[in-house]
Amino acid sequence: MTDTATEFAIELRGVTKKYRYFTLDKIDLKLPRGQIMGLIGANGAGKSTTIRILMGLVHQDSGQARVLGHSMPAEQVAAKWDIGFASEDMRLYDSMTLGWHMKFIRSIYPNWDRAYAQLLLKRFGLRAEQKIKGLSHGQRVKSALLLVLARKPELLVLDEPTTGLDPVARHEILRELTHVMADEGRSILFSSHNTQDVEQISDQITFIDRGRIIDSMDKELYLDRWRRLRLEVPLGIELPAFPGIIGLEREGRLAVATSNAFVPDLASAYESTGARVQRIESMTLEEIFIANVEHSREEVEV
Amino acid sequence: MNGPVIGHLVLKDWRINRLLISVALGVGIVALVLTQSGGETPRLLGTVWFFVVMCVLSSMLPASVIVNERKKQTLAFIMSLPVSSLQYSIAKVVSNWAMFLVPWVTLLISALILIETRHIAPRGVIPMLLILAMLPLIGFCLISATALVGESEGWLIAVSILCNSSYWFVWYLLARIPSLTTHWTGPVAIWSPAARTVLSGEVGLIVLILALTLFLQSRKRDFI
Repeated sequence: MTDTATEFAIELRGVTKKYRYFTLDKIDLKLPRGQIMGLIGANGAGKSTTIRILMGLVHQDSGQARVLGHSMPAEQVAAKWDIGFASEDMRLYDSMTLGWHMKFIRSIYPNWDRAYAQLLLKRFGLRAEQKIKGLSHGQRVKSALLLVLARKPELLVLDEPTTGLDPVARHEILRELTHVMADEGRSILFSSHNTQDVEQISDQITFIDRGRIIDSMDKELYLDRWRRLRLEVPLGIELPAFPGIIGLEREGRLAVATSNAFVPDLASAYESTGARVQRIESMTLEEIFIANVEHSREEVEV
Repeated sequence: MNGPVIGHLVLKDWRINRLLISVALGVGIVALVLTQSGGETPRLLGTVWFFVVMCVLSSMLPASVIVNERKKQTLAFIMSLPVSSLQYSIAKVVSNWAMFLVPWVTLLISALILIETRHIAPRGVIPMLLILAMLPLIGFCLISATALVGESEGWLIAVSILCNSSYWFVWYLLARIPSLTTHWTGPVAIWSPAARTVLSGEVGLIVLILALTLFLQSRKRDFI
């Protein structure tokens, strides 16, 4: 095993996959071990394709994918012993009980933790003897997650696990994922278009749009660097394009500047042009995501 | 080869489809009982049921075991386990074949025993019975291959219709080969060169379809 393999749970280099109407374009992505990465993108952005390549279910046309040190898709069998994968569109066997599924997974994975499985049954309010077809959507998602968590995987890959869930179920699942991370060696890649969920549990954030990674960094850095400056600008003064400003909207005397590399000097720079800084606002992850996507699309179109 | 996991997948398919197998076996046995209950009509009805069970099972098993896994979105769950797409395909071929062969072999052996002991038909019919019984097996093989490689319910239905409607035509063609039909009312089973050639051809065709299925599956780049 190389140093890189031990350092990163996931490593994608220049991964490209072409479909007729969609291209996943030279994806570079690194998830250090022991971290949670939120992969945020709109529907059709390429989250699921990226995850399927990571799981060896789709073969990339070019580029390298390594998961837990294994080259994908060639070494997918070895890698999948230590990966727990659940996706929004994954279903269990309707005619069988949750208990049957637990027995089935237990027969395959020697790491299956019976006590933890029982604990999860209780925490998620599930009954092993109930057939899958009688479960609500939330209970099905929790069942799938129970089957994944109780096998104690090194890496959890979750493709939109909270989509369509009520707030209580979402909270239960996110809380459980936080518990999982108490074990420092474990890593999670968590895709979603719900930025609130991602913001709640992630260490790293990656934005993906139209098949391209548009930004990827530490969550705290994102929240630190992105700011919205509300300005009052006397008529006749043109605001210059300062470095770190990715969007500037102006209406009469009022302007809003969006920065992805905010430093306090930026406010002074605007003041020096004659503008008055009314307010400097922090941005939510959702606002950052939208601003990032719009900026990226403008760049591509230019 | 990851045998234990493949084994678990095969057992899983068995557990999920055991009702279907039991029903097929039950109806097949009823059909065989009918053939020896006396009278021309029950015998004809039993014979028709016997082949209908084989034909229906040859379409229903691939639909239930393979296509439903995609349709009901349980494929992602199975592919999250430590198996490759080729190993998954091998598991599907093994479980599907085993599930079909259990009633097929049971019913065929039962028919042979009834011919030998209860004389429900002359022994001379045995080569033809085997040749005819191989047709649903070939159909099953082709339908399973379509289900695995084609990944679509539409293709499965089209090939099922094609197979089920062509059995009768192929039987008609086989019945026109004199060296196959000359001895079928005789007291002894005679394995004429024509009978041996047709049987070998049927077995060869099955092997070819199986090899082609696994070859095509191993070349797939996108599995889900």
